[in-house]
Amino acid sequence: MSMEASELQDLSDDADYAASQQQGSASMMRCDSEKRSSSSEHEGAELIYTKDNVAIHPTQFASERISGRLKLTKQDSVLFLSWIPYKGEIPNAKLSDKDRSLYTITAVPFTEVRSIKRHTPALGWQYIIVVLSSGLAFAPLYFYSGGVREFLAIVKQHVFLARSAEDTNVLLVNDFQSPLQRTLSSLELPSSLPVASGQSTYPSDGGGSSNDNRISILSQYGLRKQKSHDPTRDLSIHLLEKFSLVTKFARETTTQLFSENNGFGSIDKRRNNQPVHSYPEKLSNIAEEKHHESSHSYPETDRLDNEEISNDIDVPADPLEFNNLSLVWGKPRQSPMGREEFTAFLDSEGRVVDSKALRKRVFYGGIEHQLRTEVWPFLLGYHAYDSTYAEREYHRSVKKKEYEDLKLQWKSISAEQAKRFTKYRERKGLIDKDVVRTDRAFEYYEGDDNLNVNIMRDILLTYSFYNFDLGYCQGMSDYLSPIMFVMEDESESFWCFVALMERLGPNFNRDQNGMHTQLFALSKLVELLDTPLHNYFKQNDCLNYFFCFRWILIQFKREFEYEKTMLLWEVLWTHYLSEHFHLYVCVAILKRCRSKIMGDQMDFDTLLKFINELSGHIDLDSTVRDAEALCICAGENGAASIPPGTPPSLPLDDGILYPQDDDIL
Amino acid sequence: MSYAYLFKYIIIGDTGVGKSCLLLQFTDKRFQPVHDLTIGVEFGARMITIDNKPIKLQIWDTAGQESFRSITRSYYRGAAGALLVYDITRRETFNHLASWLEDARQHANANMTIMLIGNKCDLAHRRAVSTEEGEQFAKEHGLIFMEASAKTAQNVEEAFIKTAATIYKKIQDGVFDVSNESYGIKVGYGGIPGPSGGRDGSTSQGGGCCG
Ligand SMILES: Nc1nc2c(ncn2[C@@H]2O[C@H](COP(=O)(O)OP(=O)(O)O)[C@@H](O)[C@H]2O)c(=O)[nH]1
Ligand SMILES: [Mg+2]
Repeated sequence: MSMEASELQDLSDDADYAASQQQGSASMMRCDSEKRSSSSEHEGAELIYTKDNVAIHPTQFASERISGRLKLTKQDSVLFLSWIPYKGEIPNAKLSDKDRSLYTITAVPFTEVRSIKRHTPALGWQYIIVVLSSGLAFAPLYFYSGGVREFLAIVKQHVFLARSAEDTNVLLVNDFQSPLQRTLSSLELPSSLPVASGQSTYPSDGGGSSNDNRISILSQYGLRKQKSHDPTRDLSIHLLEKFSLVTKFARETTTQLFSENNGFGSIDKRRNNQPVHSYPEKLSNIAEEKHHESSHSYPETDRLDNEEISNDIDVPADPLEFNNLSLVWGKPRQSPMGREEFTAFLDSEGRVVDSKALRKRVFYGGIEHQLRTEVWPFLLGYHAYDSTYAEREYHRSVKKKEYEDLKLQWKSISAEQAKRFTKYRERKGLIDKDVVRTDRAFEYYEGDDNLNVNIMRDILLTYSFYNFDLGYCQGMSDYLSPIMFVMEDESESFWCFVALMERLGPNFNRDQNGMHTQLFALSKLVELLDTPLHNYFKQNDCLNYFFCFRWILIQFKREFEYEKTMLLWEVLWTHYLSEHFHLYVCVAILKRCRSKIMGDQMDFDTLLKFINELSGHIDLDSTVRDAEALCICAGENGAASIPPGTPPSLPLDDGILYPQDDDIL
Repeated sequence: MSYAYLFKYIIIGDTGVGKSCLLLQFTDKRFQPVHDLTIGVEFGARMITIDNKPIKLQIWDTAGQESFRSITRSYYRGAAGALLVYDITRRETFNHLASWLEDARQHANANMTIMLIGNKCDLAHRRAVSTEEGEQFAKEHGLIFMEASAKTAQNVEEAFIKTAATIYKKIQDGVFDVSNESYGIKVGYGGIPGPSGGRDGSTSQGGGCCG
């Protein structure tokens, strides 16, 4: 009997091990059980390759790295990969055998491997990431003594490897599909989801399982799966597995970013070490069942996680938040992009050479304030990325003239004409009332007779003529305020605002259609990413998601302080991971509060009030990281949950943009 | 602090009539000319005493613009009282009262107590709606009526308290089944102002309504 099989038995009554099997190597579990039943095991397996000193890094701490041996074996012409941590090596008391077994890779057949990503930096350790057909990924395997190339060469002798068109460091295994099919299927459910069979392989009735939430939840899922084939249920199981694995994967990548950095390293560490430092603590909790960390330093919002649920209400577990691990695991936020860095994105004539790279950079760190004037117009689509300095200068001057002309349209309305122009009077009245109620505590707009308040009024009034169908609606001034503060020029502010409204105008439709589609998409995303929470909202008549109305209407402007709002906006406006990243931000915040919401059994009113009062208490960086993680995790399924044309996507057809009702304004 | 009853109020009316200022004057006893316009809904709360009973008012301050009507409608559910506000210096805000009332009648429970407030009565020199017109409208529609000023605080306290007193009387008269929370009333601990059990009404779900 092979080493891995004996380990399996040693730990078979171990809840953690079972859970790790469920999440970690779900797809191979099936083949394990098959093999066990045929009792041939690995006896006839031919050893192809072994490599010592291959390690995984569960945390960024050197002391918690786990070394082991990587092996390739072959049986019945199928190649298997395994990685077994060295026994008895106790690098750190915090890391128990359980932790280590969590990472064990027990003979995965290459028929179930989708791809291998290799990293062979000139400096630092080489590593590979093995991604399974199901979309799951194992933690990166670090080759301390080198040899990734040789490893791949050997693999190549036994299976078909093809370089991915998208990333030359990704080697696709046995990939005979067309590229299109590949993308389409990359995130779909494997046709035979190994849940039902998985259920039979872990001891749901074993010792200690009754006080182990995870097991009971999993069995519950398994049972329900057997009863009815609810596709969303399948998906959430799938995500459950995927997320927990990817969680580890991402933590690795995080670590990686920290160790072999790219210029922002030192600053990153200073700015971001807080959330990162919480990982090892979180990780150590894997073994200590439901141990609620209490006093580690963590952003304020952690309070919201409500680790101490006051009453006995049994809050359904977050399917994505296995083992009480924190969700915080998107890439660490970088420091804002500075001028030098930005200049490097431009060619000699001022074109942005690689707009995607620029958007990525902004997505991960935002922009230094002084630079926003230059970058926001690109993000908003006012300037084209491929425009030159000269073209932009010209564009500005043309637009300035155009703005002055537009402004003249209402400037030239005489008092006599105004008397006969109710719509104009009403709009002007509304705008006059609202500009004096917009960010007046912020110094740029404070004080009596503030010039900027007047400019804001002029811009909004001009906009209501430029887009007479949409007109003016409350909330617009919330968007305009930071734009003016950044652009510091009336015409430029106007056109940036226009560009923003091209996408977000539907938020202000008379019929609120744009808002309703977004709230609907949000409900779909929550259903996908947190089915129990979705069900809770459903049962409590909260499915209209009106409690997120303000978040979406003005993209969290009232939830964060001014500077943070600008940072969030530029992240959202990159459309880097998704045009609808703001919806993932909503999901991220809701997930942080899920146990509070469900534990307190909040009804609609209570929930609305609770969400309102989160304002000023949300940690932006960790929320964005959660959202990033959720967005990646949801993948194609997330995108598919969002109906086409949902703002800020551009409208589907170019019919009437802003449907008119015929009363009042 | 514990309460005998918790009443949910909603403040409605056109934008700019002074809803948020009235709320702030009532909860914080101050007038803040510089504040942000309301997006969605905002909340305020204050304890008052009626018939020696501590009553907590939980007040929902809504956005008034027409576009947001559909969402505002979802806030009526379970409101025991409403303050319907217009601006005595702007005729159109008075003209829109009927449509606000229609919303309230449609989406709130039938026993909701409605107080009509003609706000900004400190600006008498710019008055565009007479006191009599306000009284007349209230009488026609069975509302309580007051002119008030969020700026000078005139009648602000009175408006909120009188509304509560009316609701309280309805409870005494058995108009409400107080165990049914759709009336916007939650029953606290039998009116005994307990020795600060640390239980704040705003977080207590149902506040022991069944006990
Ligand atoms: N003179 C005067 N001004 C008021 C009074 N109440 C509100 N205002 C002003 O009216 C404007 C709108 O008030 P606000 O409370 O924001 O209106 P809301 O939209 O109904 O919430 C603000 O500029 C206030 O300063 C009042 O009683 N007297
Ligand atoms: Mg207001």
